[in-house]
Amino acid sequence: MSESGLDFRRGMIDRRLAHTGRVLLVMSGKGGVGKSVVSAALAGIVASSGLTAGLMDADIYGPSSALLFGARGLPAEGESGLVPPVLNGVKVMSVDLFASGRPIPLAGSGANEVLLELLALTDWGNLDCLVVDMPPATGDIMLTLTSLRKRDVGALVVTMPDRLSTSVAHRVLELLKGGDVTTVGVLGNMVRGSSKDNETSPGRLAEEFGVPFLGLLPFDPLVSDAVEKGNVEALLRTKFARSLRRSMVAYLRGIRRSAP
Amino acid sequence: MHELSLVQGIINAVGETAREKGGRVQSVRIGVGELAQFDIRLVRGLLNDLKKGTSLEEARITVEPEKSKVKCLTCGRVWNFQELAGPISSDDREMMHFIPELLNSCSRCPNCSKSYFEIEEGRSVRIIEVVLDV
Repeated sequence: MSESGLDFRRGMIDRRLAHTGRVLLVMSGKGGVGKSVVSAALAGIVASSGLTAGLMDADIYGPSSALLFGARGLPAEGESGLVPPVLNGVKVMSVDLFASGRPIPLAGSGANEVLLELLALTDWGNLDCLVVDMPPATGDIMLTLTSLRKRDVGALVVTMPDRLSTSVAHRVLELLKGGDVTTVGVLGNMVRGSSKDNETSPGRLAEEFGVPFLGLLPFDPLVSDAVEKGNVEALLRTKFARSLRRSMVAYLRGIRRSAP
Repeated sequence: MHELSLVQGIINAVGETAREKGGRVQSVRIGVGELAQFDIRLVRGLLNDLKKGTSLEEARITVEPEKSKVKCLTCGRVWNFQELAGPISSDDREMMHFIPELLNSCSRCPNCSKSYFEIEEGRSVRIIEVVLDV
């Protein structure tokens, strides 16, 4: 018998991720809700908790993780693959380390090919948690990453409290329902003013799907200052990051429990 | 030297397929697409070294170069990497060595100058066919 079209990268990805405790997909379905900043801050929080953290930028068309961490230049090549640069204790991999700010106009399956190549080639070593900054939309990349042959893949659904963001987050939660990826929870971001958590649209969304509501992160102008300066340490000192740490405390404990 | 990882990935994948199907590997055809600019002799050498002691040790392995085929989705022009090789800098070539799709970031259609094109063939190393004696 003959087999054709065997994509060996899938097996490579399984092997790479076998040394990773947990994979957390930070998703929203919609752009502009702060996924990238949440992902970067979360990876920084994991690392600052004494755990080993990686950040995979899966937003192939609009990568920003490298910029957020100030990573530049091609990753080094080791014997076992590409070695992600370590910034603020976080191993960062992004297509922008290769494209260096240029546009990445990919048609058809191009973006997913880039993702598969990066995941297959990146030697993360041992990680307690790999945070994945997901792209907007529910296309190939989301379908690839929610189909990883790995246990302990979770999804953190980030939404702003407005109707547009929550309507798209609703679609994402619908897609996650019944799948292999555990929904870690719903997190409201860039929330202005004070409101009772469960009365907000992110809270109601979590309730509707029977998944944990992780709270609301405040709109914090100091976040954009830190991002402008590419200063992850300053980002981690913001009220936003302190709220994020509190929201994710149970998840962080879980990582610690499963860490070797 | 990520070629080593890729070749090891190929050997693992073929071995797993043989185990799943319960057969012996008779032959494997590997394509080496020109966009990733691998040295085909290096790929052959790595396969020869790494197959030892695996299910591929006795298999007939052929490694074939594959020309690229890129199609413009605006004007329909089909072209080959060699037609563009001149204007692509060595830094860009290195970038494509890791991620061939980044051809889209450093070139345009030679006919209409648009960036809306797709790589149809010859991107990187791939398994064309595995024959098992099942």
